[in-house]
Amino acid sequence: MKRLTLAVLMLAALSACSEKKQPESAATGPAETQQAAPAATEAPASAPEASAATAPATSAAETQASAAAAPETSAAETQAAAAPAAAGGPTGRVFVTNEKGNSVSVIDPATNAVIGTIDVGIQPRGIGKSPDGSEIYVALGEEGKIAVIDPKEMKLVRKFDSGPDPEAFGVHPDGNIYISMENDAKAAVYNPKTGEQIALVDVGLEPEGVAVSPDGSKVIVTSESTNMLHVISVPDHKLVANILVGSRPRAATFSKDGKWAYASAEIGGEVKRVDMTTYKVDKVTSIGEEDAKPKDVMLSNDQKTLYVAGGRANKIFIFDAESMALKGSIPVGNRVWGLALSKDGSRLYTTDGGSDQISVIDTAKNEVIATIPVGKAPWGVVVDD
Amino acid sequence: MKQESRAVCALLSVWLTAGMALTSAVRAADADEVEILFVGDQGRSAWEGASQGLIEANLQGKFLGKTFRLTQLPGAGEILKESKPAAVVVAGDATTLRQVADTLPGVPVFNVGLDDDAIRQQCGGNILHVLPSQAMKRDALSQWKTKNPESDARALAWHSSAKKYSGTQLNDRYMKSFGKPMDDEAWAGWAAVKMLADTVVRTQSSDPGKLLDFLRNDLEFDGQKGADMSYRKNGQLRQPILIVEGGKVVGEAPVVGVAQSIEDLDSLGNVECK
Repeated sequence: MKRLTLAVLMLAALSACSEKKQPESAATGPAETQQAAPAATEAPASAPEASAATAPATSAAETQASAAAAPETSAAETQAAAAPAAAGGPTGRVFVTNEKGNSVSVIDPATNAVIGTIDVGIQPRGIGKSPDGSEIYVALGEEGKIAVIDPKEMKLVRKFDSGPDPEAFGVHPDGNIYISMENDAKAAVYNPKTGEQIALVDVGLEPEGVAVSPDGSKVIVTSESTNMLHVISVPDHKLVANILVGSRPRAATFSKDGKWAYASAEIGGEVKRVDMTTYKVDKVTSIGEEDAKPKDVMLSNDQKTLYVAGGRANKIFIFDAESMALKGSIPVGNRVWGLALSKDGSRLYTTDGGSDQISVIDTAKNEVIATIPVGKAPWGVVVDD
Repeated sequence: MKQESRAVCALLSVWLTAGMALTSAVRAADADEVEILFVGDQGRSAWEGASQGLIEANLQGKFLGKTFRLTQLPGAGEILKESKPAAVVVAGDATTLRQVADTLPGVPVFNVGLDDDAIRQQCGGNILHVLPSQAMKRDALSQWKTKNPESDARALAWHSSAKKYSGTQLNDRYMKSFGKPMDDEAWAGWAAVKMLADTVVRTQSSDPGKLLDFLRNDLEFDGQKGADMSYRKNGQLRQPILIVEGGKVVGEAPVVGVAQSIEDLDSLGNVECK
């Protein structure tokens, strides 16, 4: 009885702490709230807990203010654009975020030449395109914003607030984006057309990789410091599974049929295949090279080959996607992290962060056919095709 | 909010977790609740580090139905006979460390306060040294000075300016909780609780013997220093060492070009078991 009273008193004192903190911690609150969570919950959660919460929408005024504050793209850079793409269709261009260059490099895949550089803001990392291809989104970690680029004009068109330290995101077929908030242990769902926040979901520490199932019913968020894949159901935004994987999972991808997910573990030096109907790990392959710090994972168009960016092994590792047997590797530049495949599957683009370059791989031969110098520390890549 | 009151709130939240855990233990013995003892002074940063580890352990545990509880004791003499902790974190002198290890045979005992080489000569017991040894730090510095002869750097387990490998995130979390920079002991306390919790969820067990076996043989710990950490036969945690000069991390050991590779963790203060 005494203990219970004491606990109640402590809870009251703690909630006073939380209340006091709130005004100053709009940007830093969630992690603090989580400290209290285990105590406030009387019984340990034995089942995955739903924790979606709707947060207030970003005001229109704020969105406008941030768009106005965005750096202007220079006229010279815009003019550097090659012939404009056919109206309505995708540009075919390759867009690369330069984390330390604070820019996006635009590459013409026909010539493998950089045809434009867009100053987007501070620390651009994750990149993705809208389902209709009309916009490219870029997560600006330092700024706590998402930049929106017009791929045809190669111009920054607006920015909206995403909360602190957005790292990577996935674009849902319905157009919403699912962002990993690295410092807050949350996944945030935004409508990028309006800048409105639709949901916030509690996940593990240092969330990074995001993968959206092809049918849009599930989203995976990896938590690097909690070693899990968190599966969020759409549209209700509940956690339906938390799957323990190798140490420091950084990225995940779905097979086209949605049955499998492949996830890398950077410190574990391995790739896991997970059955997305049972949420059980199906196969694990250790890369077996000490330097291999796997990051992005990508399936070939025919779903038979899995490409894994090997980090400081400076290689792309090639796996049989069914047996998970290692088939070989392709040497690329230093500290390779990001991967993107052309729509026809013939070209794989890799971001070689330590070499400030992109490598272009011909997937028929699994050979590098070009390297393209870009900005400082390229991180993410997407093909607008 | 002032840093002191922030630290009080963070400590309170840790204490509260322990307090509520006790009340629920009275209501019903809970198989999913895991007890970790901390033997040492609460004034040491190792306690704050362990408390940070507890916050993160419970964050992971809530997704998998595990609750972790950290109970502080001033000395080894306070360990109750009927006590059945999953592991013990010790921030004390060599006598205390030995006393804890002997009182709880087969239970993982993490040393987070001593870097002495002498206590690392024994192999095969239940003591796990999370802090790097003096020998590891000497070798790290010597590798660094091979390439930077004029340097007057120090070799440390951790530093509040560590940025790479999500060092920034860990430093930010600790600063937010306790309002001060994370140091070596705090890192070791954090790492001990975090690796224990990860071992509990991976083995789905809180049996100390199973945990010790996994820790010694199967651990792949991410200590946010970019390497896969595991234990040597003598119970020493393999890990990179940070090279700090002028209040900033300037490098890390193993030093590329002196050691075979950055992954060559046994180039630092390795001790052969007799």
